[in-house]
Amino acid sequence: MAIRELKVCLLGDTGVGKSSIVCRFVQDHFDHNISPTIGASFLTKTVPSGNELHKFLIWDTAGQERFHSLAPMYYRGSAAAVIVYDITKLDSFQTLKRWVKELKEHGPEDIVVAIAGNKNDLGDIREVPMKEAKEFAESIAAIFIETSARNAVNVEELFQKISKQIPPLENHEDEISESFKLSRQPAVSTRRCC
Amino acid sequence: MATEELPSEFDVVILGTGLAESVAAAAFSRVGQKVLHLDRRSYYAANWASFTFNALLTWIQQQQEEPQPQEVQDWSSLLEEGEELIYLSQSNSASIRNVQVFCFTSEEDEEEAPDTTEEEDSADPQVETEEEAEEASHKEGEEPEPPQPLPPPAQNQSEPEPPQTLPPPSQSQSEPEPPQTLLPPAQSQSEPEPPQTLPPPAQSEPEPPQTLPPPAQNQSEPESPQTLPPPAQNQSEPPQTLPPPAQSKKKISYAHLVREGRRFNIDLVSKLMFSRGSLVDLLIKSNVSRYAEFKNVTRILTYRQGRVEQVPCSRSDVFASRQLSVVEKRKLMRFLTSCAEETEEQRAYNGRPYLEFLSDQKLGDNLQHFLLHSIAMVTEATPTEQGLAATRHFLRCLGRYGNTPFLFPVYGLGEIPQCFCRMCAVFGGIYCLRHSVSCLLLDTHSNRCKAVIDSRGQRISCSHVVLEEGFVGAERKRSSTPPRFLSRAVLITDGSILPTDSEQQVSLVTVPPAAGGPAVKMVELSPSTMTCSAGTYLVHLTCPSVGSAHQDLSPLVTSMFRTPESPDHDGPSVLWCLFFNMADGSGVEAEGHDLPENVHLSSGPDAELGHEHAVRQAESIFQKILPEEEFCPPAPNPEDIIYDGDTGDTEGDTVNTGDTGDTDGDTGDTVNTGDTVNTGDTDGDTGDTVNTGDTMNTDGDKTSPGEEEERQAVSEE
Ligand SMILES: Cc1cc2nc3c(=O)[nH]c(=O)nc-3n(C[C@H](O)[C@H](O)[C@H](O)COP(=O)(O)OP(=O)(O)OC[C@H]3O[C@@H](n4cnc5c(N)ncnc54)[C@H](O)[C@@H]3O)c2cc1C
Ligand SMILES: Nc1nc2c(ncn2[C@@H]2O[C@H](COP(=O)(O)OP(=O)(O)O)[C@@H](O)[C@H]2O)c(=O)[nH]1
Ligand SMILES: [Mg+2]
Repeated sequence: MAIRELKVCLLGDTGVGKSSIVCRFVQDHFDHNISPTIGASFLTKTVPSGNELHKFLIWDTAGQERFHSLAPMYYRGSAAAVIVYDITKLDSFQTLKRWVKELKEHGPEDIVVAIAGNKNDLGDIREVPMKEAKEFAESIAAIFIETSARNAVNVEELFQKISKQIPPLENHEDEISESFKLSRQPAVSTRRCC
Repeated sequence: MATEELPSEFDVVILGTGLAESVAAAAFSRVGQKVLHLDRRSYYAANWASFTFNALLTWIQQQQEEPQPQEVQDWSSLLEEGEELIYLSQSNSASIRNVQVFCFTSEEDEEEAPDTTEEEDSADPQVETEEEAEEASHKEGEEPEPPQPLPPPAQNQSEPEPPQTLPPPSQSQSEPEPPQTLLPPAQSQSEPEPPQTLPPPAQSEPEPPQTLPPPAQNQSEPESPQTLPPPAQNQSEPPQTLPPPAQSKKKISYAHLVREGRRFNIDLVSKLMFSRGSLVDLLIKSNVSRYAEFKNVTRILTYRQGRVEQVPCSRSDVFASRQLSVVEKRKLMRFLTSCAEETEEQRAYNGRPYLEFLSDQKLGDNLQHFLLHSIAMVTEATPTEQGLAATRHFLRCLGRYGNTPFLFPVYGLGEIPQCFCRMCAVFGGIYCLRHSVSCLLLDTHSNRCKAVIDSRGQRISCSHVVLEEGFVGAERKRSSTPPRFLSRAVLITDGSILPTDSEQQVSLVTVPPAAGGPAVKMVELSPSTMTCSAGTYLVHLTCPSVGSAHQDLSPLVTSMFRTPESPDHDGPSVLWCLFFNMADGSGVEAEGHDLPENVHLSSGPDAELGHEHAVRQAESIFQKILPEEEFCPPAPNPEDIIYDGDTGDTEGDTVNTGDTGDTDGDTGDTVNTGDTVNTGDTDGDTGDTVNTGDTMNTDGDKTSPGEEEERQAVSEE
């Protein structure tokens, strides 16, 4: 099965549970005092999707969102973005629009957008009605789901939904001449032994 | 999202997000220092930034505005016993000047081009900013008849008081160009020839199997010198009357550029990365390379006697070259092989010009030109040992990733500082743009800076401060030379200066000094680098300033491209262009300033093609502060990071997560990085020839087995 690497970036205010969602998805683990982005450039998890394997490279903000200082390079080449808000914080929902706008400005055009209302285990102190969030998501043609990183609710499903929306690989992609990552070994050897 | 307070204790506070500061930030954070990294601008990378077309228009507007006098706030009430304030320069220190913009294309599409990006256009908030820019600039102009985005009228914003080093910008009055520049060039309306719709979809467009368009040639070219082999282009010479390719295309309008604005990533600096230069070594060593992708520069061109030619530099180029005779090929191979090793003969030329050495090799004008200007990229006066060192460096870099020694980051050079900032953040560094520091707080007993005070009066304590030199008033600075400037031009054109059947060429063009002026380095980027929209090319020109950027570079632009001043030129047309001068960061001394010893100065971009200067600065600041620590050891691979919340968790040695900047106010130590001696070799291959321990291995005298191989490759016939 072909493995496709898909960059996914997480957006949303500090404290909504972005890192917790990644941690739940990748490690199936939840920690109240997590600061897992330290030292992690991105985390990976591979899931089957149709007749492909999707290897998610999941980028967390590394806290750069805290003072509204995310760098445009964060969005480059993302296949999908997950914008997270906290269902118990109306503020975090109201800033969704700002993140969507930011994504429109700096993100790739064909990016798949998902909106995740996190902490739905705290339904009794909910401030954001599900219906409203869902309507907003529909208005921008985004995936919508409520999650709980804490109780492992809908986190897998979130990424499954993303997987399904990723358009199948088109052949012309390798025609867009090779850009490459630097590694210790030359990416292309132009020298042929003779 | 109320504005949060910053934490108030750090090890290192870094101001400015240029390359040197960003590398330093990553290095400190990586070894567990708590880093606060601030920039008063709203974007990353300071003078290394890259902008979308619309953001660039905003930047231009900012540069042209009168600096607002900033009242200096008095923070002395925050002082305690034995403390003093050093106010930082908040004035516009004008590292950018002489900004001039010209639009040579029509405002609107000539006929309706079906457009795919329409809705996005209206959703794009930048466009508004853009229009404001227009409004501002229309003041001096005629008819702001407001059909959406207007081309900026020709603006001549030379500063009233020129810096000492620049001759007075008298040209702004006397030059004939302003009237012309408003007119779209005369050509191009006539041919409705190709049925193509204008904005071809980005990149995904397959390359048209068209036959080669006629090469860009300057007809006025009198006679090629006798020794010159036929021109670089191997197709038969086109009849002189044939319309050049630029004319057969529908002209791209200014409105189109604005609409496609986000496809542009226009760098303020123009540099390339030597594939074995210190920046590439550092990116690999630190694993920061995983945040970016790169393209090869695909060819090296040179401009001589009014013609653009390809410089054969790899072995395969030399063999394939049609411009070199068999004899020349043999000579070139022999020369390149022989200069790999230092010989007695070479030593005899030490201190004498490289040109003299070259001409004694009896290589002929052609090869001599290539070797001097395009391979060594030195001047005629450069001493032989330096010329040879540069030549060896070039050869060493050849073939590591591609056919030329150079790489260019996809999305532009502005990505690189951002990548290092991310690395810093990933290890706990705290980032805040649009945030200024007003003063340093000096402990008068120790004569050390013990805190900074930000523009809101918050006191942030720190052990060290790194700041870009622009912060420091001239009275405290020691500089060996008067401030120097670079001249920059940025052109958006409608075709390559040397078209081939590939539209994805990325070219370095060396232009030897003409009429006593400096040599000009030119980089032509195609849309494949994600720095310009489909159908356009982005051309960067750079040279050390003699006069204003426009004085230094516009004659070359006119001779290489079609502009209103060169309407009959059959090269590509310039659609839009920008000229400006930028402070040259190489004149600033690291030491000797009137500053506390724990305040470290860095500087902006220099004039060199590579990035050695910035990397060297970052490394030396790092080593001064933490002489025992490794500079940018590899970050762990994602696969190796194990969450381990159950146990108290043993932490891998150098990734010190326990006490790095804990952005969330908690101290959970959950990342087990395991063995940090992770060289980041994700390909699992061995037999690598790069000496990663030695990041400064850029001078021409170290060799390794791999290089040996390369040299042999070149020597082969
Ligand atoms: C009319 C006007 C409008 C402007 N609008 C904006 C704007 O909208 N957004 C914006 O960001 N900038 C704005 N600026 C600031 C402007 O970009 C710079 O001040 C100017 O370009 C001088 O730059 P420099 O290269 O001399 O900076 P330098 O002083 O050389 O600074 C180099 C680096 O350090 C940073 N820096 C400098 N001083 C401080 C400080 N005290 N605290 C923190 N970081 C610092 C700079 O941002 C830069 O990254 C504006 C300036 C003017 C005059
Ligand atoms: N109750 C509950 N708390 C959560 C959930 N997800 C995250 N949290 C908590 O919210 C806080 C912030 O989470 P974090 O992942 O660091 O947010 P980030 O700043 O967006 O990365 C932490 O204290 C988490 O334990 C959830 O689904 N339910
Ligand atoms: Mg987080």
